[in-house]
Amino acid sequence: MALKVRDKKNLYAGIMFGAIAAIFILGARSYPMGTAVRMGPAYFPTWLGWILAGLAVLILIEAFVADGHDPRPTQWRPLGLILGSVVLFALLVGPLTNYVGGLVPATFLIVVMSALGGDDFKWKEVIPLAIGLTIATVLIFVNGLGLPFKLFPWS
Amino acid sequence: MDALLANLGLGFQVAFSLQNLWYCFIGVFLGTMIGVLPGIGPVATIAMLLPITFNLPPVAALIMLAGIYYGASYGGSTTAILVNLPGESSSVVTCMDGYQMGKQGRAGPALAIAAIGSFFAGCVGTFLIALFGPPLAELAFEFGAAEYFSMMVLGLVAAVVLASGSLVKAIAMIVVGLLFGIIGTDVNSGVARYSFGISELTDGIGFVSVAMGMFGFAEIISNLEQKQANRDENQISKVHSLMPTKDDLKRSVGPILRGTVIGTIFGILPGSHTVISAFSSYTLEKKLAKDPSRFGKGAIEGVAGPESANNAAAQTGFIPLLTLGIPTGAVMALMVGAMTIQGIAPGPQVMTQKPDLFWGMIASMWIGNAMLVILNLPLIGLWVKFLTIPYRLLFPGIALFCCIGAYSINNSPMEVYLAAAFGLFGYFAVKWACEPAPLLLGFVLGPLMEENLRRAMLISRGDPSVFVTRPISAGLLGTALFLLILIMAPVIRKKRDEVLVEGD
Repeated sequence: MALKVRDKKNLYAGIMFGAIAAIFILGARSYPMGTAVRMGPAYFPTWLGWILAGLAVLILIEAFVADGHDPRPTQWRPLGLILGSVVLFALLVGPLTNYVGGLVPATFLIVVMSALGGDDFKWKEVIPLAIGLTIATVLIFVNGLGLPFKLFPWS
Repeated sequence: MDALLANLGLGFQVAFSLQNLWYCFIGVFLGTMIGVLPGIGPVATIAMLLPITFNLPPVAALIMLAGIYYGASYGGSTTAILVNLPGESSSVVTCMDGYQMGKQGRAGPALAIAAIGSFFAGCVGTFLIALFGPPLAELAFEFGAAEYFSMMVLGLVAAVVLASGSLVKAIAMIVVGLLFGIIGTDVNSGVARYSFGISELTDGIGFVSVAMGMFGFAEIISNLEQKQANRDENQISKVHSLMPTKDDLKRSVGPILRGTVIGTIFGILPGSHTVISAFSSYTLEKKLAKDPSRFGKGAIEGVAGPESANNAAAQTGFIPLLTLGIPTGAVMALMVGAMTIQGIAPGPQVMTQKPDLFWGMIASMWIGNAMLVILNLPLIGLWVKFLTIPYRLLFPGIALFCCIGAYSINNSPMEVYLAAAFGLFGYFAVKWACEPAPLLLGFVLGPLMEENLRRAMLISRGDPSVFVTRPISAGLLGTALFLLILIMAPVIRKKRDEVLVEGD
């Protein structure tokens, strides 16, 4: 009997859990294990890692014996643009804040860039939205709640 | 009884201060406002609004958070009734008859009954917390490390037993959460575990980053993937008059009472039970009805019962958190995080060391529930306007507020990068049918579990039998095992799948 993947969701999930288990088990090898009485920093994560590995195997077995629907195909555009805009925001208020960043450009750009991830992007809507949200953000978080953000690179 | 009254008196004194009333109001208002927005569940709402409580004094912050929670839950029901979009799984039940009532032009009475039922259930729940909190906390003081460990095992098992989808995958998500939770400096040895040389990681991963990534960003991306057409198909029901008829009220009394009882019982058990109590209440009302065929076609009993059950369970779910310090679901996990940020370790000692905080919060729960009724019914017109905002104008704002929130935890971009990473992880996890909620629960409990396991084993000199020889610990573990076996039983498994698949 040939092995055939019957549930791709379980296949991918099993691989994902297996990989996480491997990272934690291997990572723990550089810490002292200790004993059951005096557990070292590696003790708990190593055991959990093996439990997770066992669960991953169960899920992988299930992938070959039980039928399931295929997962929805991944759409990279919303995924990339949303997460990209988040990272961009972090860069602009973090390491780049003195050069090109600051809260105002960061806010404006995250709104525009994340909006590009939607399926009916209209400049006519997004620009006023970005301006409005930028003003609101400054008023609420900087003026209102006093969070220590730099507004512009030069300020 | 005298002590109870004195305690409640103290609580109301704290909660009725002008400042705390104001924060309670703001919490309920903002919670409802964000909660009605379609596509944003209560966990995302609370995570998003969490940063605005950071700079408040602890009592005010927790009062505001509790307000946000009630607001978010009620907002979710509003969305369920008006547009047939459940913001959380427990609102699915409300959709069935609530939306049908809306289509018949009776959205107003449905909303009013939902509010009244929730208020009644909330009052009962709050009273029960005040009544059972102190004795349970006394019991908790008897708990040793072994009991705490077993209690957490039971809590985690109970949480997955009722999660939808695969049990194995839910347990795997818990274990992943536990593992992520212990990243950072080990308190016993000072070793920075899994920090990969990144200095910010030695302090561990902030739970806000996890919550925002998995419930904020991942949810936005999944929502965007489903075609726009799907989302706009649902018409918003018009609200004509809020007044329920005499007949509505008469029909609702029984379901509200029964729903409250069901929700209370389920809520006290460890595990997150709002969904199951809403479903149980719906099933019961349908069984009791003279004409069950009315259900699914706009029967008010189908709104009154589940909404009360749901709220009663949400309320009594605070009992394990406040007395044992153990969260029972994703929302309670967020509350633990919020308390930790405020420098409070949740647990039985809160009641004795910070009675003003404990009783003030309980009193504010009641006030929050009352505010929901007073505030939301007149403001329903405003919420309906919020509902009409198309998703394409909403999600950039959600992404923005999540970013600001994550950044403001430590004023460091690291938390934002982490949130993005958890967004990626959460997106694929959900795509492969792995629930994110158990992970968050495990994440919060990870360090606690390790600490208690260590202590228990140290005391027992490395003998693992301590977990089964101490009676309370054995009982808790036995219950956990029983639940697992129960759920493996084919008959119950089938029933569970029926109930929960309907809920998806």
